[in-house]
Amino acid sequence: MRCLLLASCLAVFCFGADAPKPKYSAGQRNFWSFRPIQNPTAPEVRDSSWAKSTIDRFLYSKMDAKGLKPAPAASKEVLLRRATYDLTGLPPTEAELAAFDADKSPDAFDKVVDRLLASPRYGERWGRHWLDVARYADSTGADEDHRYPHAWRYRDYVIDAFNRDIPYDRFVMEQLAGDLLPAPDGKEVNERGIVATGFLSIGPRLIAEQDKVKMLYDFIDEQIDTTTRGLLGMTVACARCHDHKFDPIATKDYYSLAAIFANTKSWKRIGTTGVSDIHYSPIAPSAEVKAYEAHQAKILKVRREIDLQMYEEAERFAMPLRQQVARYMEAVFERDGDGLDPGVYSRWQKFLKPDRDPQPLLEPWFAATPANYKQIAQTYQDRFDKEAAEWDRRVADWKQKAAEARAKDAVIPARPGLKDGDVLFLRRVLLERLDPLALPEKWPVPGSIAALNVDLEALRKSSPPEPPMACAVTEGELVKQKVFVRGDAGIPGEDVDRAVPDVMAGSYGQPDFGTGSGRLALAQWIASPKNPLTARVMVNRIWQGHFGEGLVRTPSNFGILGSRPTNPELLDSLASQFIADGWSMKAMHRRMMLTAAYQQSSEVTKQKADEDPENKLLSHFSRRRLDVEEIRDAMLAMDGSLDLTMGGTLQSGTGTDGENDSKRLSISPDASKRRTVYLPLRRSNLPTLLNLFDFSDATTTCEGRDRTNVAPQALFMMNSPFVEERAMLLSKKMETPDELYQRVLGRHATRDEVEQAKSYIAKVGVKSFARILLASNEFIYVD
Amino acid sequence: MSIERIGQNDRHRISRRAILRYSACGFGSLGLTSMMASAASTATANPLAPKKAPYPAKAKRVIFLFMHGGPSSIDTFDYKPKLAEYNDKPLPFKRPLTFAEGNTGNLMKSPWEFKQHGQSGLWVSSLFPKVAECVDDICMLKSVVGDSVAHGGASLQLHTGSNTFTRPAMGSWVVYGMGSENQNLPGFVTIKPALAHGGAKNWSSAFLPAAYQGTAIGNAGIKLDDLKEPIEYLSNKGLTVEQQRYELDMLQKVNRQHAAMREHDGELEARIQAFELAFRMQAEAPEAFDTARESDVTQKLYGLDDPDTKDFGWQCLLARRLLERGVRFVQCSHSYKWDQHSELVRLHTHNAREVDKPIAGLLKDLKARDMLKDTLVIWGGEFGRTPIVQGGDGRDHNPYGYTMWMAGGGVKPGFSYGATDDFGYYAVEDRMHLHDLHATILQLLGFHHKELTYFYGGRHHRLTDVHGEVADKIIA
Repeated sequence: MRCLLLASCLAVFCFGADAPKPKYSAGQRNFWSFRPIQNPTAPEVRDSSWAKSTIDRFLYSKMDAKGLKPAPAASKEVLLRRATYDLTGLPPTEAELAAFDADKSPDAFDKVVDRLLASPRYGERWGRHWLDVARYADSTGADEDHRYPHAWRYRDYVIDAFNRDIPYDRFVMEQLAGDLLPAPDGKEVNERGIVATGFLSIGPRLIAEQDKVKMLYDFIDEQIDTTTRGLLGMTVACARCHDHKFDPIATKDYYSLAAIFANTKSWKRIGTTGVSDIHYSPIAPSAEVKAYEAHQAKILKVRREIDLQMYEEAERFAMPLRQQVARYMEAVFERDGDGLDPGVYSRWQKFLKPDRDPQPLLEPWFAATPANYKQIAQTYQDRFDKEAAEWDRRVADWKQKAAEARAKDAVIPARPGLKDGDVLFLRRVLLERLDPLALPEKWPVPGSIAALNVDLEALRKSSPPEPPMACAVTEGELVKQKVFVRGDAGIPGEDVDRAVPDVMAGSYGQPDFGTGSGRLALAQWIASPKNPLTARVMVNRIWQGHFGEGLVRTPSNFGILGSRPTNPELLDSLASQFIADGWSMKAMHRRMMLTAAYQQSSEVTKQKADEDPENKLLSHFSRRRLDVEEIRDAMLAMDGSLDLTMGGTLQSGTGTDGENDSKRLSISPDASKRRTVYLPLRRSNLPTLLNLFDFSDATTTCEGRDRTNVAPQALFMMNSPFVEERAMLLSKKMETPDELYQRVLGRHATRDEVEQAKSYIAKVGVKSFARILLASNEFIYVD
Repeated sequence: MSIERIGQNDRHRISRRAILRYSACGFGSLGLTSMMASAASTATANPLAPKKAPYPAKAKRVIFLFMHGGPSSIDTFDYKPKLAEYNDKPLPFKRPLTFAEGNTGNLMKSPWEFKQHGQSGLWVSSLFPKVAECVDDICMLKSVVGDSVAHGGASLQLHTGSNTFTRPAMGSWVVYGMGSENQNLPGFVTIKPALAHGGAKNWSSAFLPAAYQGTAIGNAGIKLDDLKEPIEYLSNKGLTVEQQRYELDMLQKVNRQHAAMREHDGELEARIQAFELAFRMQAEAPEAFDTARESDVTQKLYGLDDPDTKDFGWQCLLARRLLERGVRFVQCSHSYKWDQHSELVRLHTHNAREVDKPIAGLLKDLKARDMLKDTLVIWGGEFGRTPIVQGGDGRDHNPYGYTMWMAGGGVKPGFSYGATDDFGYYAVEDRMHLHDLHATILQLLGFHHKELTYFYGGRHHRLTDVHGEVADKIIA
């Protein structure tokens, strides 16, 4: 209702249509991240012996300028542990350690990198990095936290895409417009493409918002924010209410993008009240979907027939009792059910029992005295009769429509609903399952209904499986978008056309949006090698994944308030190589890892600590704390408990649960041995363990995890049943201290360590020592 | 501001951000943090160190009693005699958006009797006989306004200021601004919080560092008797304290050997200290959570001896123990009870009985301990309820004008602020939007709401976004 009203307002009013186009200064337009990507030549360096690649020369030149030298090369043990966690999120095995140690060939590490990139574990680790950007979760969060029953397909798609090294430009296209890309040869439906648009669909939504226009545009805002920060490193959503305060992005730019998403369907049903329904796309051939729907209609038809006949049966049962409302009430007062149906009598007794809390409906009854109870019972009889007359009118109407439907072999309509507040007494004695006049629970079902039940069961059994669905978007109805003044949909401003932000369009202009929503053109524009931001933003994210911090340390903000690249030439060189490599992510991993910079140790000198405390120059490798997925997965892997099954979902059901039902919590990480990436995430209540170790909050696109270091984490290491179980299992598998060191820390123990461990174990036991290593700094930090 | 100047600020801003990102002590929903404390020999600051408010503060700590579901103002504290006169008559003006659109009926008078109480003569209905005894300490806010007619949005806006985005909870902002007085306990605790209508987002620190996140003690779905361990992992099931100390000593030895070979990394030493702190916390924290240490008289004052009042009474008593020990912000939740779309009389009576005595007990106890003067008590739901009937004998949601109240912490005692129309539907006098409520809370704590900001995602954020006016009239 309100939605329609506002929509019509939009059509009628139009303010400020002639607002001047924002003018940006040359400085704004030439801001570093908007300039075309260059391919600078690596600088000549004084000492070229260190450099293994051009990346190293870019880095060395800056270090040298500050008088810093790179750190010595890391040991093989350190390097293998670093690379294995980095690419797979798991520790190296003893066999891998031995093999790498034994391989004396110059390209031994290249082979390790290739092996790790080929492992399916790679997609689980790096796919998870992307899932942070995509603020992945398995429920709507926000107000009602309804499950997204199909979101896991997006997660599995991402893991698969990384494993298959889908070129990043293609990947971006799929995120925004995969449903509009042609299906593979011989297929009717582009399953992958549809699933990929989960990027736009799995965000948090307020599905019970009653201001439906606000609801729609809040979700569009969420899509704009994730798209622009995630793919372009720009905070465009700031311009929803006013021109961006710092970056050259106008409100008009924002609503030009909003137009594209407003043309896109993310909702199945908006409705005028209550909870709105989310759109899901089937990913099966249309014939399959139609067959399924037709079969469901048959099931519904039988169900409705059963409902009607059951109601009629209940009516037959209740009919004689309807006149005896007063009679039963009197009997309850007299505590004498002689001659009455004992089951009905007992239900009346229960219904009429006073409670500690007042019940206005029954207050007159509770006040009844031996002198007046019959009169009072009669008033309830009268009320019932009056309400029954009203109710029966509606039922008669229903039966009439049902008869018409039967005649046409159509589905019978559903039983009439209750209007709020009407037939208040009748509904509490007649309509609910345990009401005094309802059909008793063990009532023998008549033959005709029993036969229908058999039919229903047969239909259910013969039903084709539900076609697989995706949490995805599709093309919607085209909308005439206007600017909303101060972000308020109630104050429409000038008309806008679909467009990308003016300043980013740069010299190569606006894309041709053609017909449809405009998503495809937007996707092509973002995924273009000419786009100055896309490649830079992604190589920076990959860099951050390997080196701990990006070359731009605000990876989702390449705007004025973001930080500047610490090595802009290197960033551009990487971006242009990325494009030249066909946007291959695996090629980029190789480029970054097969460098002296990546393979140096994490040793810090006093000079480095003083002059470059944040290691912006990369004069040593930055030690890092493991992410929560690595902590849990590695511990499970070490004692052989990790279940490496890939894909699928551990979540069941749809909708949500009772307000304070424990099912609202995310599944406990202790309940599964699968890799952490496969644990379903209920957005409103993430698992404690994940929060504890700085998981992203899954409500907005996440540019990087915090790596805090706090006492509650120590309590987890000291006291959790999880770590206790790991220590126990490890102690059963590992016999010598050296075995434990190799398994938990990825290196051999020194002679002193062996002695120290032996004497401790002799006193306290292996389990305790295993827990010590699991809790140790050396386990949780990667050098 | 020119591009160049902003660029120059970059270095400092990122450094500060990096500090918070790596050394902040998030408790996650776990808890007991603390952190770093003075013992930590890192270069980084403790984000929970107590900070002095920039302006004179009337309140030092906050307790928020959240009545989840939306108690009806016009049946509790907002007396509307006109409503009786117009009982069962149509609403004489246009009905605003409600939750059950189109399914509401005529006006419905309050089924409860209202009386004036105390020296102040504030009106309280017969639902709250014990709280009525405390009205001379209470400041009624009768014109609170929110923007959402659905629970989720309304609850998020009440707790975080936004019914649109994930934003830091008010408790997080308060701890961000003031730190905490006790480094062995979390600064912001929420007791048995609701899992629905925002869930953990109602106590999350969002973009503020994780150190400022609320620590949940159980949740609303857990029965009191099943709440064995208030905070997870706080005790070891297998080892004695001596055994654990022995193991910890070996761990620290291993850690120090490791650190000795890795110079100039404060994080390694910080983690060693985190284990020491954790060991101290598990010794000290359980005492704070042990309400059994209170006298019988005190336990009875909060209603711990009555099954109806035991749960909320325990919450209030635990809250007082935590506040006493320096915790900055505590929330108690009566969830999810107050949503009477039907059966208003039966269920509001039940709900009020569960909280009336505990709340009055808390107010009296705080006063007896001389804590009320600088403890800000806040009571209220995410909205009130409509004067028009719904469901035959219930009321729908009303965010357009409803009552919350405050006590202590520098608010005027025995005072009534703002008013709704004759039927209790819209706020008409001294309208107090939730942003204004937040601004006022910060003011009482010694902050100007426009100045308590945090830089994130390209701009400075604050609890009140771009809104908020302080209700000066309620400040004593």
